[in-house]
Amino acid sequence: MTKPLDLLQGTLDMLILKAVSLGPLHGYGVLLRIQQISKNRLEIQQGSLYPALYRLEHQGLIVSEWGESENKRKARFYRLTATGKRQLLTEAEKWNRMTDVIGGILRTVPEEV
Amino acid sequence: MALALWPALRSTLRHVFDRSRLEREMEVELQFHIDAYAEDLVRQGMPPTEALRRARIEFGGVEGRKEECRQSVGLRLWDEARADLRYGARVLRQNPAFTAVAVLSLALGIGANTAIYTLAREILFKPLAVPHPEQLRIFSWAQSKQGHVGPLWGNFDRAKNGETLGTPFPYPLFLEMRKSNRAFENMTAFHDLYRLTANIDGTAEALDATLVAGNFYSTLWCRVIAGRALGPDDDTLSATPVGVISDAYWAERFARSAAALGKTIRVNGVAVTIVGVNGPEFHGPKAGGSPQILLPLSLQPRVSPMGDDGSLLADNHFWWVVVLGRLKPGIGDAAAQAALEQSFRSALQATLPGKKAEDLPRFVLGDGRRGLDLSGAFEQPILVLLALAGIVLLVACANLANLLLARSAARQREMSVRLAMGAGRWRILRQVMTEALLLATLGGAAGLLAGYAGRNAIPSLFDDAWTAHAMDVRPDARVFLFALALTLVTGILFGIAPAWRATRGDVQSGLKENARTSPGRSRARLGKSLVAVQVALCAVLLVGAGLFLRTLSNLRHLDLGLSIEHLVLFQLDPPQARFAGRQRVELFQRIEDRLAEVPGVQLATLSSEALLAHSMDNSCFRPTGRVAGSPAENSTWVNHVGEKFFDAYAIRLLSGRGFEAGDRADAPRVGVVNQKLARKFFPEGAALGKTITECDRDATASPILVVGVSADAKYSDLREDVPPTLYLPYRQAEELGAVTFEVKTAATVASVAPGLRDAVRAVDSDLPLLDVRTQNQQVEAILSQERVFATLATGFGILALVLAGIGIYGVMAYTVSSRTNEIGIRLALGARAQEVLSMVLRETSVFAIAGIAAGLIAAFALTRMVTSMLYGLQATDPLTYLGAAFILFAIALVSGLIPARRAAHVDTMQALRHE
Repeated sequence: MTKPLDLLQGTLDMLILKAVSLGPLHGYGVLLRIQQISKNRLEIQQGSLYPALYRLEHQGLIVSEWGESENKRKARFYRLTATGKRQLLTEAEKWNRMTDVIGGILRTVPEEV
Repeated sequence: MALALWPALRSTLRHVFDRSRLEREMEVELQFHIDAYAEDLVRQGMPPTEALRRARIEFGGVEGRKEECRQSVGLRLWDEARADLRYGARVLRQNPAFTAVAVLSLALGIGANTAIYTLAREILFKPLAVPHPEQLRIFSWAQSKQGHVGPLWGNFDRAKNGETLGTPFPYPLFLEMRKSNRAFENMTAFHDLYRLTANIDGTAEALDATLVAGNFYSTLWCRVIAGRALGPDDDTLSATPVGVISDAYWAERFARSAAALGKTIRVNGVAVTIVGVNGPEFHGPKAGGSPQILLPLSLQPRVSPMGDDGSLLADNHFWWVVVLGRLKPGIGDAAAQAALEQSFRSALQATLPGKKAEDLPRFVLGDGRRGLDLSGAFEQPILVLLALAGIVLLVACANLANLLLARSAARQREMSVRLAMGAGRWRILRQVMTEALLLATLGGAAGLLAGYAGRNAIPSLFDDAWTAHAMDVRPDARVFLFALALTLVTGILFGIAPAWRATRGDVQSGLKENARTSPGRSRARLGKSLVAVQVALCAVLLVGAGLFLRTLSNLRHLDLGLSIEHLVLFQLDPPQARFAGRQRVELFQRIEDRLAEVPGVQLATLSSEALLAHSMDNSCFRPTGRVAGSPAENSTWVNHVGEKFFDAYAIRLLSGRGFEAGDRADAPRVGVVNQKLARKFFPEGAALGKTITECDRDATASPILVVGVSADAKYSDLREDVPPTLYLPYRQAEELGAVTFEVKTAATVASVAPGLRDAVRAVDSDLPLLDVRTQNQQVEAILSQERVFATLATGFGILALVLAGIGIYGVMAYTVSSRTNEIGIRLALGARAQEVLSMVLRETSVFAIAGIAAGLIAAFALTRMVTSMLYGLQATDPLTYLGAAFILFAIALVSGLIPARRAAHVDTMQALRHE
């Protein structure tokens, strides 16, 4: 297995939104889901998750509720709001355009210029 | 992300107000994460203790993460501000003397400004207390010199271009304009009657009344709090006379009793039933007025007869009602003005046929939100007062900036340490500004309280000695906002210099042990410039105070040409309906005789105009046989007086005689002229024995024989030159209005008044004595503005002087203490204490003199604006300027003396060890 990639600046928020868009999750669950989807190819600072979660909730993109975890403990669950859903769509679309452009540039061979 | 602004703000506020919940939840949440991870690790086969350790390590510092979370929800700025505030509060608590001086000087500065702003708002800006006052317009007219408006009963003014501007209109003209109106929802009329005589339950008293049209309430939309309002049905000649009283009068005269409604009182002899009470906020349609009763206009002929047959209601020539209109929504002023101009013209031509169009007055539509507003004369004085108070606040600001600067120098080390440890300059700046604003807020709050407590103090300075004023100025939200804005501006103003200075410190030298001298010098320079500014502002105030004080003194010590001592005055205004013509003269004569018998009264007399009370009777007379010139040329000031008038006022008779018992109505008409009039009418020789005639009489009318020439004496005002005056015996007067009785007595007003009241009651029980006062109090009353200015300017001047003294002391004490070392060396090298003393004093005088010079120049420029308020001296009066300079210089030296003496007595050994 290659060494996991460090997260690109500013993409954590988008990943969190995507993670909770698949169903309500607590903080640790968000971490697990991102790791699971990415097949452990991304390195996420565990602690950095929480300031991001608080920021997203502060911006009204996600909301939280206290509930019970799988092992019967009190945990805070996050879920996407309507605003958050819209935000995720725009961000994803922006990201795709961006990767297209950047990828296009990087794929350029000398003859094409 | 603009769309998230509102949820973000809400979330921040939620966290601010429920901080403990945030902390609790954060703790639980992070702990859950670590525990859950550890459990997963255990499941993968790691021993529990090792798992927990790994989980903690991988998670990272919990406290750091928490701080980041707090920052995420916008709590960081809040936390820092709170920390700054706590720190600032601690610093202020640790320096109680400093805090007390700062808060006190700010409180006085902000309090004075708030009090004067409250007054300005009350007098100059407050609109009528009715719904939508901004829709109201007041009608007025302007006419050239040749115009034909008149006779006038109301307010008019002469503009600079010679035009006459007035607000009264003939009643039929108003009705005509109302009929053709399209631009206004409604228009109504009123006339301020001032004081009438009322008889309530057998007691005669004065009653302030205003006549209003039947649609007054439906036009202004003002409310009644008891009973009913006046309506159109009340405003007819056949209606039963009714009136609506003011809330203040209801409280004061009837103790808010319900029995007041339906009560019948006699107003100038007319039985009027009280049917309602106005709301407490409404003070009548005239700014600054406070009529106690509103009566229908249709009562004019009975309550206050005027003109040929007593009634003005059908008189097209008599201009007397003031008109207010409520503009229809959506109609502009220009359109309304155009429509009214036209209806005014056609109404005028209908009611006054045969006048040439160019002789007719122009219609002018004015802002009516304040009703009839005659406060224009107060504008300049109040602006001057605001300016004076503003200067005091600036002095206080400079003072505080200086004190904070001295403190920030003492805290240079602390700042340097913080900078060295990585605090941002912006952070330090914010902290110093927080401290300044904290101080400002304390001072502002205290100032607002002081301003509220003293809200009636300044208005009451304007009061006269004999009127019971129940003045209650009510500061409103705007006053609060004003104080708040003032506080913020003040805080920023005095915080900015120290804040800037605090962030400029050189960290390296700031951390050194002996760093006190190097930044000290430049700080002292900044401090000294600030003190120089203070001294300069103080000089402006002192010059102002000096000018106003000398004006007051000049006016008080004026040679009046008469004596105002030991005279008690009161006014009588019997209703014309009961006492007119002959009867009136006889009534006055009976009272005059009766008064002379009151114990303690040396002599009693009367005059149609009270002296030095801003009242006058101005008529046109000419020497018999000569053709009249322009009215201005022939304007003669007349006073109808009793026989003892000249004795009472000690006005000297230069030749001829005064009035005698024989100068009765059936005797030949006589008069006494003063020197001014004698010279004006008879420049070629003696006036005695010549005759004078009214301008509008033909040669057949019996002329007035000049039987005496009196010395010049002041008439209505102190400032004006003695006018050409004609004294006539009141017993020969054809018409008299209200008169003032003058009684010469050695007794006080309080002890003689009951006797006077009894004497008048013995003649007629229905006549209230109005305005019982001494002639001295009367003179003080017309000096009220001068007195207020002298008092306030002096008070402000002293305040600024004290602040400047503190400033000078502060900056010199700082200089001396930061130079202890140098002074010690000087002394050790043989300098005498005397030399050190004078060195410090010399330094003090340098910036004091700079400040004084700048201040005097500023005063020279500024005091020109108050020239019209001065009397007997120029705005550039050298004596005043010298005096101000001297006082300031003396204060500067005294303030510098304490630090100077400390410097001179520095212990050499200790000072050298100081290093």
